[in-house]
Amino acid sequence: MGQLQVTDLQVEFGGLRAVDNLSFSVAEGEILCLLGPNGAGKSTTLDLICGKTQPTGGSIRLNGTEISQMLEFRRARLGIGRKFQVPSVYKDLTVAENLSVARSKRPGVWSALTRLALSDAREACAILDRVDLADRRDELAGNLSHGETQWLEIAMLIAQDSRLILMDEPTAGMTLQETEKTARIFRKLSASHSLIVVEHDMSFVRTVADRIIVMNRGAMLAEGSIAEIEANEAVKTAYLGH
Amino acid sequence: MTSRFHYDLVALVIFAVVIAFGVPALMNYDGFELNTFARYLALAIVSAALALSWGTAGLLNLGQAATFGMGSYAMAMHLKLRASDGLPDFMGWNNVPELPLLWVPFESLAFTLLAGLLAPAFIGGLIAIFMFRARIAGVFVAIITLAFLVAFQLLVINQQGQTGGQNGLTGLAQLALPGWTVDPYSMGFYYLVAGCLTVALAIGVYLTHSKFGLILRAIREDADRTRFFGYNVATYQTAVFCISAALAGWAGMLYTMVLEFASPTYMGVSFSLAIVIWCAVGGRESVIAAAFGAIVVNLLEGRLSDVFVEGWHMMLGVIFVLVVMFMPRGIYGLLTGLGARLRGPNRARGAEPRASHTQQLETGQEP
Amino acid sequence: MDVIANQLFAGLSMASILLMIALGLAIIYGAMGVINLAHGEFVMLGAYATWALQSFGGIGILPALPLVFVAVAAVGWIIEKVVVQNLYHRPLDTILATWGIGIILQQAVRLGVGAESRFVRGPDLLSGNTQIGPLIMSNYRLFVIAFSVAVLYGTWLLMTRTEFGMKLRAVIQNRRISECYGIEAKRIYSFTFAYGAGLAGVAGALITPLFSTIPTMGTGLVVDAFLVVIVGGLGSLIGAASASVLIGEATALFSIVINDTLGRIAVLAGIIVLIRFRPRGLFPTETRR
Repeated sequence: MGQLQVTDLQVEFGGLRAVDNLSFSVAEGEILCLLGPNGAGKSTTLDLICGKTQPTGGSIRLNGTEISQMLEFRRARLGIGRKFQVPSVYKDLTVAENLSVARSKRPGVWSALTRLALSDAREACAILDRVDLADRRDELAGNLSHGETQWLEIAMLIAQDSRLILMDEPTAGMTLQETEKTARIFRKLSASHSLIVVEHDMSFVRTVADRIIVMNRGAMLAEGSIAEIEANEAVKTAYLGH
Repeated sequence: MTSRFHYDLVALVIFAVVIAFGVPALMNYDGFELNTFARYLALAIVSAALALSWGTAGLLNLGQAATFGMGSYAMAMHLKLRASDGLPDFMGWNNVPELPLLWVPFESLAFTLLAGLLAPAFIGGLIAIFMFRARIAGVFVAIITLAFLVAFQLLVINQQGQTGGQNGLTGLAQLALPGWTVDPYSMGFYYLVAGCLTVALAIGVYLTHSKFGLILRAIREDADRTRFFGYNVATYQTAVFCISAALAGWAGMLYTMVLEFASPTYMGVSFSLAIVIWCAVGGRESVIAAAFGAIVVNLLEGRLSDVFVEGWHMMLGVIFVLVVMFMPRGIYGLLTGLGARLRGPNRARGAEPRASHTQQLETGQEP
Repeated sequence: MDVIANQLFAGLSMASILLMIALGLAIIYGAMGVINLAHGEFVMLGAYATWALQSFGGIGILPALPLVFVAVAAVGWIIEKVVVQNLYHRPLDTILATWGIGIILQQAVRLGVGAESRFVRGPDLLSGNTQIGPLIMSNYRLFVIAFSVAVLYGTWLLMTRTEFGMKLRAVIQNRRISECYGIEAKRIYSFTFAYGAGLAGVAGALITPLFSTIPTMGTGLVVDAFLVVIVGGLGSLIGAASASVLIGEATALFSIVINDTLGRIAVLAGIIVLIRFRPRGLFPTETRR
């Protein structure tokens, strides 16, 4: 019985089952990695959990609450954060403003009306130190490089402080050093958060994953530790096509 | 950002000082001139109100004139009742036997003031909930608000017995506050309007720099992303619509006092789009700039339309097209761009074209 | 019964006019994502051109149609080149810019021709009425209905059967890839805008015997035509046709049940509700948005 419990989840797009009877769970403080070839349904699974896509069947429970029919902002308030594959930051806002938006402990209109824009920025700046963006605090996010944008979005998710964080290809476009640093940050995050990470970089997955699920054509192909997955025949077949 | 807040506060103080002391001196304390200028100041409030919803939240409300008109008629109904012994004259001409129920509470000044603010906020809020719950955005907001405006104006003109129809409400009394009958050609009245504008702008400046304003800007840029941070986008959009409508209603009440009549003309499509022009010329991102835009355009209109009469409207059209094409951020954009250049190339906040935008242009992708 | 039949005809006549105006708007919006608020002024220009041709050149409405089409299309072409082309990536700003252009055109006509209303005589050929039982139909209105259907069909042929139409649809689908295949998207856009403007001009010419020609005549028309486009579904020709019939008939029928104004308010309210629940219209198509 984990923090997140996904049961028989499925979604169809015009007859195509993008996710097919998928069941799994994530425990508190666990890092679960989703692997699989392109089109296996990994990002779609994250979309279903965060509410970007509505499932056509199955259930998603977060700490026992059924969330599969909830609007996305309610899910976010219950503690689900999402980093997108294409870095989604607010390009017209400064780095500090981006973090202030992400810092959404009190997302209601009334509390927003009674506070200044950067009232949450002080704590946010400690986060910027961790991702080496502290000196770019007042820069427009649109002026950041691709790598920096990735960091900013990760920083925003740390600021959001969701209990369950969904990371879609967080290390895409990062250098080796940056990837290693991301891995360290993720390990540290897992002390107080659960993470589901979609990633292709196997060395990164080896470093961070507590458990791995391999998907193929929307369904679960294998589940287990990194060693188990690497020994799994079905996975080899799917990847090598034999 | 905090520095931007300081700049805006300084701008607000300068603005307030100029309209409080500079303008009356320039006008030689002439009652007629001051009345004309008070008219511009009232219009500046509605322009600033549009800047809140359009500039901050990206919601182009083409129906702003409707909420302005509600405030205007609320005040006019009160002043009409004050001017009439019993039934207002036009009701008699329209064979209305007794005071309609809608009119009765407008005997009370307190009710009138509340209604002038809250009725627009309520109606604006209803339309907003209706649209934003369904996640209507972009040009559809413009079209729906425009259609609402047309329908609302027709309704007002149609209900002749209640509204005076095409003629509007004329022959109004002067507003009687406790111990002060407000003569629209007096210094006192000028300061009343100037004070209202300053307060409205202070509210606007605060809102744009509050977390509320920040979330609205985030929504303007990417509403979906903002939902994933836990914000109820529809509620934020509805809130800004209500606030903007209330400010427009406030402006409308003052406008009726300036003109001493209320007319359906000021609920029309042309007037609504005029508000958009003022706001665009001044700069939609800043409430002060939008207010400034309203004053400048109206001042020019007042001065130049004597000289060019018909030609003026054409010039206004040309100016507007040029502003949209080459100065999309208005006078405010010019000033901040200039300021950023003075401070150095790296701190050009939005002054240079957004990298993402131009890229999309080159690749032909949709935003 | 007689009243209803005659109102139905009046509704159809109104629908045909709406369609003529909305068609150009629908093409421009569908192809380019541009909300052209100057469209009503294109109609007005068409009406004034017709008036000028009749008063100064002695040319009747029917022979004037092609001339008006070309003239207003040329105006549209210039406006597209000078203004609209620079704003394709800013859809909200096209609303504002085209509205500014509308003011300029309106005031130019007011200055040049005067604000008083002008009248244009309908073609003698079509002056009478056709009566079927209790139903009395003006021949001219019948002609306008037939003409608008013909224009709809012609536009459909243009879009689906010609090389221009194929290129246009390619650009709508994906401008970048189309350009890789040597299609000049800019030229296609200019021609599309000009064609839409030309249609508005023809609509203006056709309504001259029915409406009085004044500089502000376009303002009211453009709002209605816009609602037709949005209700129909952006860029859909069939949608625009059905929506104009729907709105024309609804307005005509409401005006018997209640009065004209309240009927119009009811139709507007209905449209608002419809946009709310079907923001992509009755007949949604894949369009550039």
